[in-house]
Amino acid sequence: MDNIYYPREAVITDIKEETPTIKTFRFELNEPLAFKAGQFMQLTVPGIGEAPFTPSSHPGKVGEMEITILRAGRVTDVLHNEVKVGDKLGLRGPFGKGYPLDKFKDREVLIVGGGVGLAPLRSLIYALFDHIEDFSKVSICYGAKTPEDQCFTDEYNKWKGMPKTTLNLTIDKPHPDWKGTVGLIPCLLEEEKLDVDIKKSYAVSCGPEIMLKFVTFKLLEVGFKPEQIYLSMNRRMSCGLGKCGRCNIGPYYLCKDGPDMCYADIKDYPNVFG
Amino acid sequence: MEIYFLQKDKLINLLEILEKTGKVFWAREKELSSNRGVVRTISIEELNEDYIQDYQIPGLRAHDIFKPFLLPLRSKVCEYPDNEWADIKDATERTVLFGLKSCDLNAIGILDKIFLEDTEFIDPFYKRKRKSLVIVSSDCISAGESCFCNLLENTPYATSGFDINIAEVSDGYLLEAGTEAGEKILSELQTREATRKAVKERDDRRKKVLNELKKQNARFEKAFSELSKRVSEGYNSIPGWALGSTCVSCGACTNVCPVCYCFTLFDRSFKRGDKSNRFMVWDSCQYKGFSQMAGGMNPRFSLMERFKNRYYHKFFRFRERYGLYKCTGCGRCIDNCLGNIDMREVLSGIKIGKDAN
Repeated sequence: MDNIYYPREAVITDIKEETPTIKTFRFELNEPLAFKAGQFMQLTVPGIGEAPFTPSSHPGKVGEMEITILRAGRVTDVLHNEVKVGDKLGLRGPFGKGYPLDKFKDREVLIVGGGVGLAPLRSLIYALFDHIEDFSKVSICYGAKTPEDQCFTDEYNKWKGMPKTTLNLTIDKPHPDWKGTVGLIPCLLEEEKLDVDIKKSYAVSCGPEIMLKFVTFKLLEVGFKPEQIYLSMNRRMSCGLGKCGRCNIGPYYLCKDGPDMCYADIKDYPNVFG
Repeated sequence: MEIYFLQKDKLINLLEILEKTGKVFWAREKELSSNRGVVRTISIEELNEDYIQDYQIPGLRAHDIFKPFLLPLRSKVCEYPDNEWADIKDATERTVLFGLKSCDLNAIGILDKIFLEDTEFIDPFYKRKRKSLVIVSSDCISAGESCFCNLLENTPYATSGFDINIAEVSDGYLLEAGTEAGEKILSELQTREATRKAVKERDDRRKKVLNELKKQNARFEKAFSELSKRVSEGYNSIPGWALGSTCVSCGACTNVCPVCYCFTLFDRSFKRGDKSNRFMVWDSCQYKGFSQMAGGMNPRFSLMERFKNRYYHKFFRFRERYGLYKCTGCGRCIDNCLGNIDMREVLSGIKIGKDAN
């Protein structure tokens, strides 16, 4: 039997700087590892500790994995400052249920990302692109603080070029280099800007919880039902097994029942948005 | 199973047989001197030959908890890289726990639900420790001030969950085996079948303690008949939780709780680049850092949210998942609270419906 707490070795083969505070780390995996878009991994920096991340890479690629990480705390500081190509880190997982792709079939999928929150959604985007014929439409809305803070910029043209796909970007404040939309993410979800058939849509959002809160309220305002909204609630998680006790919303453990939760399931419980 | 009678002065024989079975840890009443004078306490410690002659089974649950035998304060779960199980997969020697009360057995039953009977994940470390236990329980002979097992439909005497149960009667003990292992131990002991009179005495004593408990907890009965509803519907009631205002977030309640099991994984290496050890250590939902994320966001930032979360977990969340309350009514959290918070009073104070705000 495998020890569930034991991190499998993973070698870093590439580190890409996405923004001044976000890097994408590519790992080579010794054993093939399949995950579903939205499921998360526990990444170990030896001797320092573990932190949960949802991979940003194509879920179909089983020999390697990319994880996009914002520098924010103890583990991520070491990842950003000290870790080099060739270093051996550890991975546990995947954990959680992932996005319910079956439900999205023959529906429009509205993807709403904020900051580094686009990382798990990128994995979802790849999964949708794999079977784009199964979905009526993919609308991607993404907001970052400044143009400098946008992740995966070199892929935007490819995304826009996919059939049935649109990409809308916004930045928080006006910037001399920016000609596009300015404003917080909910501004991309205004009824007149939103070119989706709400009745036949699902919305999926990932970002800081304060953003998820206002995105959810905006989506409800324009006519989405709680059942149509999925939120990636990537909170602090330690065990990944629904045991260590910290990641609950109501009776659900985000690590086991999520981290992508249907808003209808959680909305009536305490501390949904912190 | 049959009930046997053991003479009062023969308890030592049972202890000696248990010592041959494994390492014995017993609950023992003792005096500790402190700067406030002598304090009587019931501790859990390794059996000591010096005290075996005069040993008496405590009449109440111990002040300590038996939880560390299953979930140690800190336990190594792996060593990495290259040493998946380290030295931790070997069988442990048998451990005999002696003098547990019904609430202690219920606590083990609850921990089993989480770590042993959850079909999605069985904890190998817990399982290994659990299988090595021999459990000898005993009836309570009075009701402790903070005891409220009766409110959670438990009794101050055990009817299952033990290998052997001991009930004190006037001139000896009534022994009952709950498992084959227990039966085997009893067969090595010189006993005789208990008389009907002795069994009646045991049952009368049991009833007496249960009645004491019912009497002292009568005023909380209503609240405990609708706990789940109270805690979930009354969650946002501000006056309802006023009794929690003396909480200082010290975490004593979760640390003395026989069923609080939340933990965190914690890594250490002696030197960067060396092998690292991963430990599972107790954590507490009362600590501010429990749910805090990198970057500072914290879904339960305020003390009151954390205070309520503990009740919410015990009486709502856990029940939704496992079908029972995560509380045995042992009252240790009441005895140890720095803020003098009584769980029974808090639960009775929660307001629902019209009175909520």
